[in-house]
Amino acid sequence: MDQQEIDWAKLTEIINAHRDDKWGLIPMLQKVQEKFGYIPPEAIAPVAEALQLHPSQVQGVISFYAGFTMKPKGRCVLKVCRGTACHVKGSRSILRAMKKNLNLEEGETSADYQFTLETVACLGACFLAPTMLVNHDYYGRLTPNKINSIVGIYRKDQSDG
Amino acid sequence: METIALTINGIRINCPAGNRLLEAAEKNGIPIPHLCSHPSLHPVGACRLCLVEDEKTGRLMAACVTPAAQDMQILTHTPRIERHRRNIVRLMMAEHPESCIVCNKGNRCELRGVAARLGIGATNLYPMPNYKQMEQANPFIVIDLSKCILCGKCIRADHELVGAGAIDFYMRGFKSRPATLHDLPLEQSNCTFCGTCISMCPTGALSLKGDYAGTPERIAPSVCGFCGVGCSLSLGMAGEKIVEVNPDKKSNTVNGATLCVRGHFAMDFLNSNDRLAQPLVRENGNLIPLSWDKALDLVVRRLFEIKATNGSQSIAFIGSSKCSNEENYLFQKIARVFLKTNNIDNGGYLFGRQLLSMVEKRTDKGGRFNFFAGSLSGIEKAEVIMVIGADPCHTIPVASYYLKRAAAKGIPILLIEPQHTELSKDARIMLNPIPGSDLALINALSALLCRRGSSENSFIERFTRGFGSYSQSLNALDLNQAACDSGLSLDDIEKAADLLAGKKITFMTGRGISRQRQGGKIMDALLNLAMMTGSIGYAGAGFHITAAESNMVGSWDMGTVPDALPGRRLLCEEETQKEWEAVWGVELSLKPGLNMLQMIEAAEKGLLKAVYIMGENPLRALQEPERVRKAFERIPFIVCQDILQTETTAAAHIVLPGAAVAEKEGTFTNMEGRLQQFLPAILPPGDSRSDFDILSALYQKMSGSPHPLFLSDIREEISRVLPMHTGNTQSSHLVWIKDFAQKNEARADISGSSIEPKFSDVFPFKRDTPDSEYPFTVLLGSDRYHLGSGTRTSRSYRIATFENSAKIKPKQRAQSPHSLKYPDACGGELQISLADAKRLALKDGDAVRLTSKWGAISRAVRIQKRLSQGLVYVPGAYNHNDARCLIPLTPLFSEESSGWNYCRVKMEKI
Repeated sequence: MDQQEIDWAKLTEIINAHRDDKWGLIPMLQKVQEKFGYIPPEAIAPVAEALQLHPSQVQGVISFYAGFTMKPKGRCVLKVCRGTACHVKGSRSILRAMKKNLNLEEGETSADYQFTLETVACLGACFLAPTMLVNHDYYGRLTPNKINSIVGIYRKDQSDG
Repeated sequence: METIALTINGIRINCPAGNRLLEAAEKNGIPIPHLCSHPSLHPVGACRLCLVEDEKTGRLMAACVTPAAQDMQILTHTPRIERHRRNIVRLMMAEHPESCIVCNKGNRCELRGVAARLGIGATNLYPMPNYKQMEQANPFIVIDLSKCILCGKCIRADHELVGAGAIDFYMRGFKSRPATLHDLPLEQSNCTFCGTCISMCPTGALSLKGDYAGTPERIAPSVCGFCGVGCSLSLGMAGEKIVEVNPDKKSNTVNGATLCVRGHFAMDFLNSNDRLAQPLVRENGNLIPLSWDKALDLVVRRLFEIKATNGSQSIAFIGSSKCSNEENYLFQKIARVFLKTNNIDNGGYLFGRQLLSMVEKRTDKGGRFNFFAGSLSGIEKAEVIMVIGADPCHTIPVASYYLKRAAAKGIPILLIEPQHTELSKDARIMLNPIPGSDLALINALSALLCRRGSSENSFIERFTRGFGSYSQSLNALDLNQAACDSGLSLDDIEKAADLLAGKKITFMTGRGISRQRQGGKIMDALLNLAMMTGSIGYAGAGFHITAAESNMVGSWDMGTVPDALPGRRLLCEEETQKEWEAVWGVELSLKPGLNMLQMIEAAEKGLLKAVYIMGENPLRALQEPERVRKAFERIPFIVCQDILQTETTAAAHIVLPGAAVAEKEGTFTNMEGRLQQFLPAILPPGDSRSDFDILSALYQKMSGSPHPLFLSDIREEISRVLPMHTGNTQSSHLVWIKDFAQKNEARADISGSSIEPKFSDVFPFKRDTPDSEYPFTVLLGSDRYHLGSGTRTSRSYRIATFENSAKIKPKQRAQSPHSLKYPDACGGELQISLADAKRLALKDGDAVRLTSKWGAISRAVRIQKRLSQGLVYVPGAYNHNDARCLIPLTPLFSEESSGWNYCRVKMEKI
């Protein structure tokens, strides 16, 4: 799947809806990311113009927050927790298994834009360590074996869809 | 203002409420080390070096961001604070590369200074240099972010002072650094290369690119010799070369901490190989060296011979809007006293001097004190700003920063230009009238305001004449017709009128008006609008007329003009004649002389037998170059005094090498009316002399006086005969013209003065007849990398390098408009609209030929999405300023003129 040409009409709609908001930048960026899955670099200039900011300022905000990304991400974003508790409980081997299963390195997205592998500092679910988050779902007390079946669910999802 | 008292280090001090602790301490002579704070920037408390301790609570706080409060007890140098400070600096140094010995910032590095004062030699920390790639592809700025301490001064200067917004912080944590949009090289961002960030940077992270690395041997204050803003400079020299330029740190300068690309980087034209270094005389067609004495003797002998045989009218003098007041005064004195001619003009003719004279004429003098807006700082206090016929971002960049800062403060700007300019994004409302239709638009705006009753009646009654007939003719105006003539909808014009209604207007206008076909009428209409809205006499309100050259105002004041004596005293008055005859002890002619254009016409008829040109290059600047060249060929004796080999020195019979601003002493009057003195920082090259020395030697030879004439003599004479120049003899660096600074916040009292501005008639707008053979309208503009016709700036190594790298390369030709690396057309390309590009199947980089009735040029094209269909924009100065050949040389401000700004052309692909 190639990177798509961005949908300008959709972008304009979001921008116009938040044009006059006070402190509108972050909500606007969140909406853009929600809609597109990422913040297309081409969106920076129109967003900046609408809020009367310099485009470099908008980029500064996007690059500051880990929650914003300017690269397209996969349909499923898998976040492996690398916090202390998870580390003690063997999250390193979980990450290794994930890398092997998905054939991706940390921060990479698969060529078909189905999976993105990321790590996070802590998911706040230490009692379930080692944990990971797939999109909005938590998975806990992981073992390398469980990984295959979890990833399998999302793979299956894809073939269903 | 409320003051508060507090104690710092046991000393009781007072400071105004609202001051930060750092300001309060420094004003009272208590130094606190700091790296990220700067008086003209908002404090952010990034570096933490200005930590101080609250004695009562023991809290540590950053002095740059903490407001001073009543009865605070602050300690600035306790052992605890010192320990923290040392640790902060040690950590910064552990991350800093150990490259001080080869660092461009050299001894001016503030980090090094702070470390020295804290006594930190070795950090005793494990060095962890944070290497980041170095960027030095552009010819202006070297970026070495491994030396960056993230103080954010460059970013704040960019956003708060310059308003370009090219850089901001990118990423976070260890990765954080200043970067452009999409992390592209500077030349691909909207960076204007003003260099303000270089001067701000406390370390070597941002430095000037050049062939000298390190601290200059000595520094000297000076004034910039390019445009009329008159920025104060601090020149850094090594030997007899200027290796660095920074904004002067003095307070109350025009530019503050900013400069533009020309002021900061183009000064390297002084090192050009084209500098003249000895007097030359033409023999058998070649210019050969001659001694000063012989050269000057020859000039005097030939001029007197020509005067005796052909009369005074056969001699002309072209003074310079780039030479000092003293030089211009002496120049016109030589012309008027010894050669009895009023044929005197200067380059200001090309760039808007007529607008200045118009304001003067309409107000029976005294215009400067009331009509002119004066200090540029008033822009930031304006109620509403109207920018018409001016592109300040390119012609006078430092003044445009004032506009951008005003816009950031919420002051509305109404921009009236045929095309989008860089100011468009800062303008509240932009109107793009058809080129040449400004008159129709201003009439419509005035009529709308008048009909709504937003005229300021108390002002009109008290100070003006002729409002009745003016308002009547406004009321009779057909608004729909006016809107149609200007190519705008009446709705848009009404919105603009809403913006202006009930407010005092600050006007900024320039060569877009002065070089337009109906320039005089437009200026009249603008003056009427200013009087009707009472936009006169308030600080801020009034006219800013962009002065493209450093001493355009001064050369006019000093009388290097055909129709006025020094002090702008018009020649036609007998009283003036008597007064000046007494001053100079000679008889003066009352007949106005020839202006620059009439000189060319006289030369064509063979009437002009001698011309003395000081610091101007008419052969490069004037339209119809072939015609001008032929006219010059008919002049039997041409003396050209200049600093560079130019198109004009190539036609001269005697060439006298002068000196540039940094090499001589004198004063300039900037566009605000501020008189600024400069002193020599380096020696002029070879045998060349300051222009004043040359003129004074001529004066001595002509007068036969045994005593040489010194600069102080002329200054004394100027301040004696021109009351507004009193104070000029003092050696202080900055003098305001007398009375000028007295314009206060409140209405200046103009009732006592002799002026009584009169409303002039409303001139109806006449439309051009379109010509199907020439379907496009070409707009001639200028860009920030060049000044005027580019005689000096094209000799700058850095500017030339940049221009070459910015030219569209053949391999880029076939690509889409978005793929172009440089957002500006800084390679001198002509710009066309997307629609025209599609219609003519043109891509970026394709070569086209533009042909008008008068000439043709070939250039690469660049597609400019924001340009309207049918318009072509050509920046001047490039390619030996060849774009001038498209337009006919007609007298400006006259009925038969076709204007110098635009013309009809056809375009074909080649």
